Amino acid sequence: MQSKLSDIELIEQTLAGNQFAYADLVKRHQRFVFTLAMRFAKGREDAEEIAQDCFVKAYRSLASFQGQSKFSTWLYSIVYTTAMTFLRKKRVDTDSIDDEGTFVQIESHESAYDTNNVENKSRSYYLNQAIEQLLPDDATIITLFYKGEQSLEEIAQTMGIETNTVKVKLFRARQRLKEKLERNLKHEVKELI
Amino acid sequence: MNTIEEKLWNYIDGTCTPAEQEAIARLIEQDELYKQKYTELLVLNQEFASMELDEPSMAFSYNVLEAIRAEQLAPLKSTINKKIILGIAAFFVLSILALLIVILSNVKISGNLFSGLDVKLPASLKLPSASSIFNSTLMKSFFVFDVILALFLTDSYLRRKKAAKEA
Repeated sequence: MQSKLSDIELIEQTLAGNQFAYADLVKRHQRFVFTLAMRFAKGREDAEEIAQDCFVKAYRSLASFQGQSKFSTWLYSIVYTTAMTFLRKKRVDTDSIDDEGTFVQIESHESAYDTNNVENKSRSYYLNQAIEQLLPDDATIITLFYKGEQSLEEIAQTMGIETNTVKVKLFRARQRLKEKLERNLKHEVKELI
Repeated sequence: MNTIEEKLWNYIDGTCTPAEQEAIARLIEQDELYKQKYTELLVLNQEFASMELDEPSMAFSYNVLEAIRAEQLAPLKSTINKKIILGIAAFFVLSILALLIVILSNVKISGNLFSGLDVKLPASLKLPSASSIFNSTLMKSFFVFDVILALFLTDSYLRRKKAAKEA
């Protein structure tokens, strides 16, 4: 059962030496942090590693959290920086991880397998599939806006960009997501026929 | 220039000014194209909001705490102590000042700025001899204390390492 204490109260208890309070903070934010990590890693193992790394980093610098922004905004900025570093490292290893085509290719391989269970697929499956095909930045912005309860200003703070840029990026990300969603659905209908 | 979609998204997100909000609301009411696009975007917005979050493994929070324990991390509150940093800074400033005072007190300056200054550096500085410092009983007991302290710390470190290996 999760604690009813606020994030700030849990942080104060953690700083006073109560590690269980930090465990509660982790449990409260782990799903969202893991989802954000998945937007970059595209694999559960790597995403768990990124998410774990983020919580350890956050613990290390918990005392530097001033409380001027929400804890979640502060935590998501750590996730974004860590995931970007992961992506850069991965890009060096694989040469072209940032290429949108790479993700589409990986995903289309998975969808070929998944078409066997097409009757079990719901709209949310197609939505998640379309999000996975987006570039990490687009997927992150969409996730932060719709699931992170973050305002445009807070997203700007997390990603280290201007609020107006976030507005433009969000608009473009929505358009791309809509296109991918339509394309995937069309593809599945063809498979069924 | 904003496209229809851009305007409608701003309207849905509530990021436009009250005047724009009013104008767009009127357009949705009167213009069929706006009305159709608005309905379409509302459905899309609802769909995007219904996305599901991924779930990490059951042991995730346990693994995080284990990683923290393994590194024996303490939140930085105890490690960044401004008083310690200020103390170290004060020690260095005082040392430099003391050195400056000793040096300046040994330099002889005569004359004035107009006729020219005559600066005479001392032939030698009177410092306590190193041999007398190292041969003193105080210094010897200090070294003995250091050796005992080093042995004690090494012993406790090795014991901790052995206990961690056995655990």
